[in-house]
Amino acid sequence: MNLDAGITGIIMGGVLSLPVLGIAVIYGMTGITNFAIGTIGVFCAFMTWTFFSYGTVVGILVGLATSFVIGYVIQWFLLTPLSEKGGDSTLFFIVTICIGLVFTGLTRVLFPRPNISLLLPRMGTVRILGVTTSGLKIFAFFFALSVLFLIRLSEKHTNIGKSWRATSQNLKLAKTVGIDTQHVFAWASSIGCMLSFSGAVFWAALYNVSLMSGWDLTFLGFIIAVVGGIGNIWGGMLSALLMGMVMSYSGHILGGMWQSVVLYFIVILVLIISPRGILGSERSL
Amino acid sequence: MNEKELVLEVSELTVNYGATSALKSVDLFAHKGEIVGLAGPNGAGKTTLLETIAGFLRQKEGDIRLFGTQINEFPVLKRRMMGVVLVPQERNNFPYMTVSENLDVGGIINCKDVNKRLIEEVYQLFPVLHTRANQLAGTMSGGEQRMLAIGIGLVSNASILLIDEPSTGLAPKMVTRLFETLGSIKELTGKTIVLSEQNIGVIDIADRVFGIEAGEVRFCEKTEDLDRDIIRDLYLGK
Amino acid sequence: MNDHYKKLGTLLALILPFALIGKVGYAQWVIGYVYLFLIQGYVAWFLFFRTNQPFFGYSVTMALGAYSTAILTGIYEWPLVLGILAGGVIASAVAMLLFLSTSRARGFYLSMISFLLAIMFPMLIDALRPITGGRNGIYFRGLRDMWSRGGLFALIVGSTVLAVAFLFWLMSTKTGKTFTLIAENDDLAQAVGINTFKYKLLAYGIAGLISGLGGALYVNYIGFISSIDVGVFTTTYITFIPIVGGSQLCYGPILGALIVFLLPDLLVPMERFMDIIFGGVFVAIILLIPGGIAPGLERLVKWAYKRLVRRRHDCIKPETQL
Ligand SMILES: Nc1ncnc2c1ncn2[C@@H]1O[C@H](COP(=O)(O)OP(=O)(O)OP(=O)(O)O)[C@@H](O)[C@H]1O
Ligand SMILES: [Mg+2]
Repeated sequence: MNLDAGITGIIMGGVLSLPVLGIAVIYGMTGITNFAIGTIGVFCAFMTWTFFSYGTVVGILVGLATSFVIGYVIQWFLLTPLSEKGGDSTLFFIVTICIGLVFTGLTRVLFPRPNISLLLPRMGTVRILGVTTSGLKIFAFFFALSVLFLIRLSEKHTNIGKSWRATSQNLKLAKTVGIDTQHVFAWASSIGCMLSFSGAVFWAALYNVSLMSGWDLTFLGFIIAVVGGIGNIWGGMLSALLMGMVMSYSGHILGGMWQSVVLYFIVILVLIISPRGILGSERSL
Repeated sequence: MNEKELVLEVSELTVNYGATSALKSVDLFAHKGEIVGLAGPNGAGKTTLLETIAGFLRQKEGDIRLFGTQINEFPVLKRRMMGVVLVPQERNNFPYMTVSENLDVGGIINCKDVNKRLIEEVYQLFPVLHTRANQLAGTMSGGEQRMLAIGIGLVSNASILLIDEPSTGLAPKMVTRLFETLGSIKELTGKTIVLSEQNIGVIDIADRVFGIEAGEVRFCEKTEDLDRDIIRDLYLGK
Repeated sequence: MNDHYKKLGTLLALILPFALIGKVGYAQWVIGYVYLFLIQGYVAWFLFFRTNQPFFGYSVTMALGAYSTAILTGIYEWPLVLGILAGGVIASAVAMLLFLSTSRARGFYLSMISFLLAIMFPMLIDALRPITGGRNGIYFRGLRDMWSRGGLFALIVGSTVLAVAFLFWLMSTKTGKTFTLIAENDDLAQAVGINTFKYKLLAYGIAGLISGLGGALYVNYIGFISSIDVGVFTTTYITFIPIVGGSQLCYGPILGALIVFLLPDLLVPMERFMDIIFGGVFVAIILLIPGGIAPGLERLVKWAYKRLVRRRHDCIKPETQL
């Protein structure tokens, strides 16, 4: 029974790690904590749901494309100009929350239902250590893991990845050696939104997604990112798994009401004791 | 020299920080293949001038021309494509990347084989960088980081290299070597180099020196004609 | 001097609603409601902008004040005045405790601790449902039993004016000047020998106290509080008040509160589109009017003055640059 909670926790952490990675990618690259990506992800999941009748793949492609475009546009036209004018983290906090509000509103207005769940293929069942789970959950977990490795590998070994790291480490020098930093920022934002979207899709397939789920996704993703050392994607993954366990076990022992309280309490404690998160962050504000 | 092509021409440039002006109607020019030195005490406006030429600051008045084209409103990236690269005074490397990655990024817009050749050349100029190729740039000593910064500038294959105070933090011996190196870079590649410098040794390699003080150009002399006294006055006051 | 007039004008403008005391009705109720958040807005203006402390927990201090009052008076049957005071003191203590415990964190992380506290707090209230009522909330008679609606309204307006006047006065004293110095340059303040730690603690204490007392008034005026009323968005909106209105000017929060808390009320007929309009308007304000509405308004007035008055007098003075 305890093992059951553990596996639930790992899988929950795996799914949650997707928006966490999204937040980490955007923050690591642009220095902006984007509080809108959860609601954007949920908005795009609703798009997927709308196009689901044309086939699973079509639906998911539509969602991915939408999240890419949204991420690109808000970064290019809104956030980058603001940061060039010298916006500080408070301003971005406010602006991205407002953008999040707009997307919650759009989801409410454009789609006929306030909550949805997506019927993805269940991919059979898998038995691990005597516990049975659906193949989809396992897939969600490995999907998150492979995205993490993909990001890390391309950062290390491709020119595009290097120009990304360069941009995040020294914006001015990156510009002067000829990196199109504005595109880099826009891409980072797009990828962040796409990651958040895939998190929302798995969430919708495993549980269900409602209008306000975007905020849960944002805040959970955000606190997990902070605990791991925001901007540090290894830390993000590790802390997603840890926090998934915390949620699962505290829900198990204390009951659902306390689940989030315990989670936030631990996060605040981590911040008080080790403000940089468990693995620290390359980019500090 | 006069028959040489005019590469960079700055005329009546005025730059403000808020209400105070850091540059007042500054004129500057550089011919192809020249080393132009900007001399001046702290706070004279050297960094401001170089950053404005590179496109990080916008002038209030005046013109900047590059190969005869007016580039007043061009963004940094466009100027870089035309061949202008700035090596900043501080924060001039990517601290969490290795030395070799830094150089890779420095030449990111070059073709692969050009880049490889340039990196080899940089390694020959600064053997230290070769031995430290896999060290994180941020963990190197101040002098090594300077060399890396200049290396990045060289790999970028710029036709006009703006170098902001390359000699700060270097031992006197290293400064001499650095200046020799820059001189040979000019001979070898025919690059135009504009460098700001507090170190008086710059007049040994520069073809022309502009003396700047309190945001204004005090003198502009070919090095052959330069009277060392005016330089001394510039730094020490009359 | 100019600044003095602005402060005086602000206080006078705040007193205006006294004219509505006799007119019990919807307008009066809404103004009281806006004023309850205006107090919080001014606390944010003081702590966030005047002393530059990255604190996002206004809903927490407010809720602490409200719940303490409601629980101590309603369940433990303390006298009302004592309950209200206890609310302020508890909120103040928690704010100071938060400051003390976060001395290791810097910048962004510091601001996030209080923000996370603001996210956690309503969940805690839900979890403690037997005492707090959770989402279903608790009803509280308090002053509503003793005073008329008009009296309660007057109390809210009066307390707001008092709190704002106190903050203005504080900022003009030597302590306030020290706050300003710390806000502008913390290192310099330390270098000249100011015990910045003490002053910051004081700032948190004062902000917590006013915010907590404001919360106590809130529960007395509304007569009800639940975890939904003090969610993350409450704290976000409270921080919006000075930002949208103009954090640099003393009357900025008034304009901010009008927009942040009155706009949704006006938008009720278009409820479906509320989030979009709300978010859109704020983004537009932040993008298009840097510094907030109040400075924007001042620029507009100056411009209009130049255009209209100057031309009439046919002034040929040389234009002075700003
Ligand atoms: N961001 C800024 N804001 C306001 N004033 C500035 C700013 N940057 C530079 N200044 C001012 O402009 C003037 C010129 O500065 P600049 O950095 O160009 O001098 P410099 O010649 O490079 O000096 P140094 O040799 O010390 O590097 C100085 O008086 C400086 O204080
Ligand atoms: Mg300088």
